[in-house]
Amino acid sequence: MTLFYEPSTRTRSSFEVAAERLSADVTNFTVSTSSVVKGESVQDTIATLQAMKVDYVIVRHYNSGLPNVIARHTNASVVNAGDGAHAHPSQALLDSFTIREMFPDVRGRRVLIVGDILHSRVARSTSILMKRLGMEVAYLGPGSLVPRTEYSGIPRFSDFNEAFAWKPDVIYLLRVQKERQDAPFFPSAREYNKIYGVTEERLKRISDEGLYIMHPGPVNRGVEICDLAMDYERCLINRQVENGIACRMSILYHLTPQTQH
Amino acid sequence: MKTSVLIRNARMASGSCPADILVSGGVIAGKAPAGTLPADSAETIIDAAGKLVLPGLFDIHAHLCQPGREDKERIATATAAALHGGVTGLMAMPDTAPVMDNAAQITTFMEICRTDALVDVIPSGCLTKGDGGEEQASYDSLRAKGVRFITDGDRAPDNMLLLYRAMQYASNLNLTFALRGDVPALTARAAMHPGTTSYRLGLAGSPSCAEEIGLETIIRLSVDTGNSLHVQTVSTAGSVDILRRCKPETAGLSAEVALHHLLFTHEDVGCYDTNYKTLPPLRDRKDVDALIKAVNDGTIDCIVSDHTPCTPFSKLQDFVVAPQGMIALDTFLPAIYQYLVQTGRMSWETVVRACSDAPRRLMGLPPVSLEEGAPANLVVFDPEGETPVTDETLRSRARNTPFLGKTLQGKVDAVIFGEQTYLF
Repeated sequence: MTLFYEPSTRTRSSFEVAAERLSADVTNFTVSTSSVVKGESVQDTIATLQAMKVDYVIVRHYNSGLPNVIARHTNASVVNAGDGAHAHPSQALLDSFTIREMFPDVRGRRVLIVGDILHSRVARSTSILMKRLGMEVAYLGPGSLVPRTEYSGIPRFSDFNEAFAWKPDVIYLLRVQKERQDAPFFPSAREYNKIYGVTEERLKRISDEGLYIMHPGPVNRGVEICDLAMDYERCLINRQVENGIACRMSILYHLTPQTQH
Repeated sequence: MKTSVLIRNARMASGSCPADILVSGGVIAGKAPAGTLPADSAETIIDAAGKLVLPGLFDIHAHLCQPGREDKERIATATAAALHGGVTGLMAMPDTAPVMDNAAQITTFMEICRTDALVDVIPSGCLTKGDGGEEQASYDSLRAKGVRFITDGDRAPDNMLLLYRAMQYASNLNLTFALRGDVPALTARAAMHPGTTSYRLGLAGSPSCAEEIGLETIIRLSVDTGNSLHVQTVSTAGSVDILRRCKPETAGLSAEVALHHLLFTHEDVGCYDTNYKTLPPLRDRKDVDALIKAVNDGTIDCIVSDHTPCTPFSKLQDFVVAPQGMIALDTFLPAIYQYLVQTGRMSWETVVRACSDAPRRLMGLPPVSLEEGAPANLVVFDPEGETPVTDETLRSRARNTPFLGKTLQGKVDAVIFGEQTYLF
């Protein structure tokens, strides 16, 4: 059962393809047409799914911590497909898997994460897993999008030159949004691109130094990344998508279906 | 039970020599050095050796929810909880349903209190009609019904012009405005204090500067209009600095801190524990230290419970959606003892000042006297006792306390309030 309270094409289809390849039956509990819009609480929705004896609930929600609430109310295996600004564990797995394909020993490898660190569940989950695997992580982004206090000893840079001097192996770009419902976080896409984007000049340096580029998608061309970089031979974006299927198959395979509890 | 009670070997907050106290007919009928009052002078004898006799506490920030939100709390249950926590007087927040914005609603509320309340209850009034934030409530008719504090409840005033005019209007009425410092635009989407915990959990932060800017604003408005201002639920070290600077030169400025802000930090939220979601949020250790210091030096006048009952269902929701607040009356005195007195961070004299004398002064009441001839209003507290906090022991109708399932050190053994004696 996929339960998406927030629009997502990529993650949802990735989980669906993964589940179908494992010959699971997939049902979408489409939030916009379900009783959720009629004011049903998440708890009541979960009780309904519980009664239908679903084995897995794959959930995405705009509130941080909601999958924890769901897990308390069901015997089904709950897979967090992204909650608010909190976590996106399957993305972290596929990212680390992708890096491992490039480097047989990932220990000591350096990943520079660029962009909206503050609101990114990808940055959070991916940093945690990479550090656990022995990689080093650093952040680069505007002051309004990077956590103010240091988080688990991760260095924070203020411009690309500083960050290049750190000698990263992978440049991991995050999708940025100029605003989230209220006030803007940066003046314009153009200014963001100029300071924090992979421009053609920066691509030259990335290519000269043989660095990899990653992005969880979907990309804003001309903001986080220039067209040329999308075709760069060490750009791993499509490989990340491909590995996403394998990782999500593995997640479902390793979790126990409810009926076998 | 209406009886005479003899408390033997009573030790006071001041640490004076133990005494025997005889209570009869709702007044302290006798007080003499320990062991001198005859045992046959009373029907009930409480041996207070090793225990403490304190004046009944007064809490000027409690949400009683009745009438209208009896699913959360009732006057009978909240006041029973208060006694259990050593509290014999409350000021009720006006966020009943409908809200207390007119004389008739206060009359209805006080009528329920007359039959159901086990402790003294003083009503407070809304800043705006229907708590709608648009029209002034009827301040003078509220005052005539015993209201002393006009408050915007948990909401922070957003409309400065409305607040300014309301304060100008009320400047002749001898009312106190009880407000919270906040800039809603900065905190509207926040769930907790910004820091490593909020980042780890992916929750939006409520910056300390919002409270501090709001605090400066309401102090300036009250000075300009000549009104008394009571600052509710101060939570940051920066707010303490502002109060310390402004209080000496500002007549009629007082401040309170919610007990939970002296006990917990934002790190206690752990993995989305909604019982630690409060308004304002739990802050950092340095804020807690500054707040305790401010109570000790008198910069903050009172410690309040900010007793906020929530339904179990509402607190089971995810952290972003779950309502703010915790219940605190049941555990008020034991929590103060375990976290502040036992640890040497606060003296019993300060507790009496911040939880009884100062709040009573703000309510226009004299301090509780434990001398002969005074009305009986006292609490017998046993530091060696224990207060288990369970479904069975909680008197409040709500269960949203982080102490649920835990045991607190110290226990309220007895409360003698007027002609009533409660033995726990």
